[in-house]
Amino acid sequence: MRSLRRYLVTVLIALFTLISFVAALQSYKQSAIRAEALFDQDLQVLASSLSQQYQAGSQQELGLALQVWQKGELVYRSALAPETSMSEAEGFSEHNFAGKRWRVFRQTPTDLLTVIVAQPLKQRQQLADEVITASIYPVVLSLPLQALLIWLVVSKALSPIKRFSAQLSSKKANDLSPVELDQVPAELDQMLKTTNQLFARLADAFEREKRFASDVAHELRTPLSVLQVNLHNASQQWQRSGISDPEGSMLALQAGVERMSALIEQIMLLNRTNPEHFQARTEQLDLAGLCRQVVADWYPQIDSKQQQIELLGLEHLSLKGDAFALRLLVSNLVGNASKYSAVGGSIQLELSIEQSNEQQQAILVVQDNGPGIAPEEYTRVFDRFYRVGGDRHQSGTIGSGLGLAIVRDIVVLHQGRISLGASDFSSGLKVTVELPL
Amino acid sequence: MLINTVLMFLRELLPLCLLLATLLVWHRSVWRSLVLYFALPSVLMLSLISLQMVWISEQLDGLGLELLYSFLYLSCFVLLCLSALKAQWALLRSALAAACLFSIGGSNLLLYIWLPGQAENTPADLVLGSALGVGIGASIAVLWYYLLSELKQWRISSFALLLSLSGARQVMMASALLIQSDWLVAGPQLWQTEQLLSEQSELGFFLQALMGYEATPSLSQVLLYVLCFTLLFWCCSLMEKKR
Repeated sequence: MRSLRRYLVTVLIALFTLISFVAALQSYKQSAIRAEALFDQDLQVLASSLSQQYQAGSQQELGLALQVWQKGELVYRSALAPETSMSEAEGFSEHNFAGKRWRVFRQTPTDLLTVIVAQPLKQRQQLADEVITASIYPVVLSLPLQALLIWLVVSKALSPIKRFSAQLSSKKANDLSPVELDQVPAELDQMLKTTNQLFARLADAFEREKRFASDVAHELRTPLSVLQVNLHNASQQWQRSGISDPEGSMLALQAGVERMSALIEQIMLLNRTNPEHFQARTEQLDLAGLCRQVVADWYPQIDSKQQQIELLGLEHLSLKGDAFALRLLVSNLVGNASKYSAVGGSIQLELSIEQSNEQQQAILVVQDNGPGIAPEEYTRVFDRFYRVGGDRHQSGTIGSGLGLAIVRDIVVLHQGRISLGASDFSSGLKVTVELPL
Repeated sequence: MLINTVLMFLRELLPLCLLLATLLVWHRSVWRSLVLYFALPSVLMLSLISLQMVWISEQLDGLGLELLYSFLYLSCFVLLCLSALKAQWALLRSALAAACLFSIGGSNLLLYIWLPGQAENTPADLVLGSALGVGIGASIAVLWYYLLSELKQWRISSFALLLSLSGARQVMMASALLIQSDWLVAGPQLWQTEQLLSEQSELGFFLQALMGYEATPSLSQVLLYVLCFTLLFWCCSLMEKKR
């Protein structure tokens, strides 16, 4: 198919022409057969009328009523004709007699002779109906065939668009490869080229963005590490030399550098876990074991703040996922809970399985008794670089505003869901992550 | 009568329309050249036959026209075989094959239209009948073209089969004329399928135009048909292998 328009126009015209003409021919043939039968019937009636004339007393039923008047006297009448004149008017007229409505024709060829012929109107209408119906039937019967063929032709013509749309909808978020179709019609060709060009530009842009963010973060990492070491050395030197720092400039500087390091670390992680870039290596893993490892990783900090942490629920929860990404997810949630909870606070992790919409879901709930988040900010906290209360967060904790954005990306990557709510403690935040098993 | 005109136009044009549609699928990339190569010799041959029809029909003991038509049918078959065998000049040979068929159908139609004693056909009958006949023939050709294109796309080797059937049909028509002229011995009648599928029915009519369906074929016709079909199918298979 080179052109959709040409294909549709030519095939539909051909179909309409063929079906209409064949229907017309069938109508013609059927009407001719009926008309032939009609004429044959007239011949039969005429023959019967004439034979009756020569068979006195015959009461054979005829389709026609016939009267012959001569000098005002009825000299002949057929069985159906009354004894009185069927019509007084010359030519065609309609009258009632013998319990029927008749179409009557009166002719007076000479002053002495009058012939009156009548035919029941119902019979005439019946015969006319037969001829008309015979001519209409083929046209009416061809309509479903036309509808079926139009449906087939239009479906066939639109199949390249359907294939194009199916290819687009089956593409994964990170699949920017060109769409390839066989037998592309002219109308779709430009659209396909433009779409593929767009995909190519998008792939380039993503690649550049990915490389840029990664390169910048990587390039900043080394000087920041050097800066941290130098700051640490300078701080030690100040202490040894007895230089006082009443305004805490050194501490503020160290905190700033530490925050910048955390930010760069998170940017690199965000880049790695972005669903558009990340190629998940799914494997069967134990989420409960993974949670235990994360708790162990964070335990020194939790212990230093004299916080309580407990892991409730299932001891083993097997699911398919990317180990690195899920570990990062749990780590960010536990880290946030610890960071934003006060000294002596409580953190709780709970693992369970739920049946939802004929599919089993792993449920991970992380909650703390920290200050929590106002419900109106629940959606915003997933935005990149968004921090509740801005840089002046009441906890004074160093953060980049990327932790929950990374968590959300990982959940999306695993086709799961994440929701925030009030903690079961008297205050605090409850994060619920649902991951399909 | 209207119906006679329609049937006459269909009988003469439908085989040509089907052959042209098949050839257009074959030579799709150079269809304009095919149409041009077909049109010029068609007009020339039709003019010659029409102008000399009386003289031609008087030749060979009054069998001139029948024998000329037989020759044109056989030429059509031979040209199709040659087109399939050698790619060189295939387009021109295909166009000439279609032109042979056109000149037969065209001259028969001219004869029908201008024949004295056409009183039973009113001008309205002729115009309407020819419009219906041409319309139906052209519509079937368009649908046939797209059906063949679709089959070709699905890599079904139907093209060789259909072209071979079309070529063998021309030989069938030639053999009928040669038997009628006593130039070919008919032999015994092999079967009778008139009751099963009449040549006058719509399907019989279509099959007759497509593959030369005959309800009562004779032995010589069947032998010739099978031989020519096999030959052309072999040529087409060779052509497809070369591709």
